[in-house]
Amino acid sequence: MSALLEMRGIVRRFGDLCANDNIDLDVRPGEILGLLGENGSGKSTLMKVLFGMLSADAGSITFRGRPLVKHTPGEAMAAGIAMIHQHFMLIDAMTVTENVMLGWPEAGRILRVKEIASRVREASRRFGLDLDPDSPIASLPLGRRQRVEILKAILRNAELLILDEPTSNLAPAEVADLLMILRRLRDEAKGIVFITHKLPEVLEVCDNVVVLRVGRVAGRAAVAGASRGQLAEMMIGRDVSAPNDAGSTPPSGAVRLAAKDFFARGLSRLTVEIRGGEILGVAGVDGNGQIELVEALTGLRPTTGGELTLDGRDITQATVAARMKLGLAYMPADRGHTALVKDMSIAENLMLRDSRRPPYGRGPLLTKASGAAKARALMTDYDIRARDPDFRVARLSGGNQQKIVVARELDRQPAVLIAHQAAWGLDPGATRFVLDRMIALRNAGAAIIYVSSELEEVLHISDRIAVMAGGGFAGIASRSEVDARRLGLWMSGRAA
Amino acid sequence: MSEAAPAMTPATARRDRRLRLKAGGPPARILIALLLSILSAAALIAVSGHDPLSAFAAIAKGAAGSEHQIGASLNRSTPYLLAGVGVALCFRAGIINIGAEGQIAVGGAGAAAVALVLPGAPPLIAIVAALIGGALAGAAWAGVATAIHLGRRVHEVLATLLLNFVALLLVQQLLAGPLGQFGAGFLQSPLLPRSAWLPKLPGFDAHPGFLIAVAAAAALSFVLWRTPFGFALRVAGSSRLAAAYAGFSLQRLTWGAMLTAGALAGLAGGVEVLGVHRRLIEGFSLGFGFKAVTVALLGAMEPLAVVPAALFVGLLESGALAMQRQIGVPSALVTVIEGLTMLYVLAATVVRK
Repeated sequence: MSALLEMRGIVRRFGDLCANDNIDLDVRPGEILGLLGENGSGKSTLMKVLFGMLSADAGSITFRGRPLVKHTPGEAMAAGIAMIHQHFMLIDAMTVTENVMLGWPEAGRILRVKEIASRVREASRRFGLDLDPDSPIASLPLGRRQRVEILKAILRNAELLILDEPTSNLAPAEVADLLMILRRLRDEAKGIVFITHKLPEVLEVCDNVVVLRVGRVAGRAAVAGASRGQLAEMMIGRDVSAPNDAGSTPPSGAVRLAAKDFFARGLSRLTVEIRGGEILGVAGVDGNGQIELVEALTGLRPTTGGELTLDGRDITQATVAARMKLGLAYMPADRGHTALVKDMSIAENLMLRDSRRPPYGRGPLLTKASGAAKARALMTDYDIRARDPDFRVARLSGGNQQKIVVARELDRQPAVLIAHQAAWGLDPGATRFVLDRMIALRNAGAAIIYVSSELEEVLHISDRIAVMAGGGFAGIASRSEVDARRLGLWMSGRAA
Repeated sequence: MSEAAPAMTPATARRDRRLRLKAGGPPARILIALLLSILSAAALIAVSGHDPLSAFAAIAKGAAGSEHQIGASLNRSTPYLLAGVGVALCFRAGIINIGAEGQIAVGGAGAAAVALVLPGAPPLIAIVAALIGGALAGAAWAGVATAIHLGRRVHEVLATLLLNFVALLLVQQLLAGPLGQFGAGFLQSPLLPRSAWLPKLPGFDAHPGFLIAVAAAAALSFVLWRTPFGFALRVAGSSRLAAAYAGFSLQRLTWGAMLTAGALAGLAGGVEVLGVHRRLIEGFSLGFGFKAVTVALLGAMEPLAVVPAALFVGLLESGALAMQRQIGVPSALVTVIEGLTMLYVLAATVVRK
């Protein structure tokens, strides 16, 4: 079958960094192509070049037999390419139909609301999207919102859909639905580029994979004949099957963090103790109180009742700064606005929460030289890849950004660490790195609360596992006592 | 650090950020913007039937043609610079302080009041006391706005802007009452005692206010880039969520930035009163506070860059009258040039996104 998309010899440089080095990529109609690679391997750059958000320094793109040269995203869309970003481009206050009409000439100068709504209904039925044209976006869970984006692409007659890590924010059931929708799109002869880190999904849905590594194609394979281990090896150039030493010995340390009848807005009363040398994994579908829990524990959300102690000291009403001083570290899930200041440098972000302490500051002054030396050391130690500490964080890949947060919070050698989605958006190699560092911190005697919607990570790292549902713990048990069935029951909100 | 940390959702932060100004663009962009505004002004002058080159020559000569004129230009730039660096500090922290206008007026009144109650003090003491009085008065006025903003959650633009009008009326009222000169026929105070007059710089027809202002700009630049306090301000200006996460108290940062800006604006009023008019006159600072906002933006919210920005506006304005006298181009045209410059600079810094 003739190709839907042919990219030939794509080269894109950023200064002296070659993000795409002579890459070829083909997509046939009715093909789901998995695009894999570690953070910073050039996947996003390649897709931005395809979608016209970046121009290529060399190479050619042919789409449906016609060349795309120096095109804009608008022209790419008009040609039939749709890009579904990790963060949805939807207006919360508007309905599904209104979002579909947004910026779409076919909606008419005088909006044809009824007609579009019926087209939304029809397409929703045909592709199994299960969307009500009149529901406001704000009322939809993330999985449904993503389907609105897919619906927009379908109605605009897209022939090629690019999905950038589409499953990273979804609950397991939503992932299964999405994969089913992708299969239906494939049956309608659409081409799909599926960018992901998650090998099980690739094995389940993709026809072929292309793996990028440091800007080059590291391998191509037909999924039918490849195993998980082979793909992972192709991706980072080594095997990552993970040994797990968690939960083997019961934690023996003293209680470091204790919550008693603890609650805040959005939480129900929680009582839990975490000992030194223990990792408590908190699993659960996003939006069940995880953000509220970590914010209340770290002082960003006022506590409305109960008691919280750290190493025996009452911190129920302590400020963020006071808790930090007592040894509470925190990696927030919101990397973009909370954990990092993107228009500041790596060095400034590394000292974000420590600017008054050596080596970053002394008394009323910043000590720039020793701060920069420290930043350089952390960059080496945590493998943060950039030219120098003055590099702006916004220009780093997501994985490198997260490593800054990890370096900053772990380097303080905290007594208690609260990590929320700490490996979010990281490739298997970097995830492994982060988890290993946390296990090392635990072995040094710290207590860790690891909150993640990735069950696999939680199972890998935790000594005990709690599941959040409806703002409270639906259940809590040691690693060796939990199984998938029990966790599934807890996640659905039924206490076992 | 006693207040409970404010609960802030990403949604409110996003709404908030839209109102907050971004730090300025690279100097090259701003220079191009200046060049464009001068070209536009030339076109306007040509349209009005005059020769742009001779008009600019008249402005240049009027602004810096002699020691006397240079002095007048420096005096003119001084309040813009003092108040402008304070405004720049607030903007950097994401606090949109439009209250310099009122803070300058109240500062001038404060300085005049101190000078009038200390008629017999030796010169240096009288001057320093009066300037401190001005700075304190300005800081107090900024403090009122801050208390309303933080205590009652009134947006800082409203709190600072509206208090400007109250400040002007307050100064009027003081001049109609305790500070006024009886029978003057005009709202003004008696002449201040000679000991409180700012001396002239040797060789120039200028008071030392400009030097104070440059020192203030240098000090604020140091604070912004070399201290944890300045770092916290910059973080808060970029992301309130990140500032809360870092453990900074947004309330304390707001108080710090606002009181500093208020003190500098008050100082600007004091310098103007002690150095130029030597008495408090109604409306002595009309428009200064809004010029300070212009100058802060023109200087890309970088304290040291506000120095050339304030000089630019000061020189332009003091040259304007000469242009009007010599070749009949109305001096109001300079206001147009200032407006155009603002537009171009803002356009140049927004393009960056």
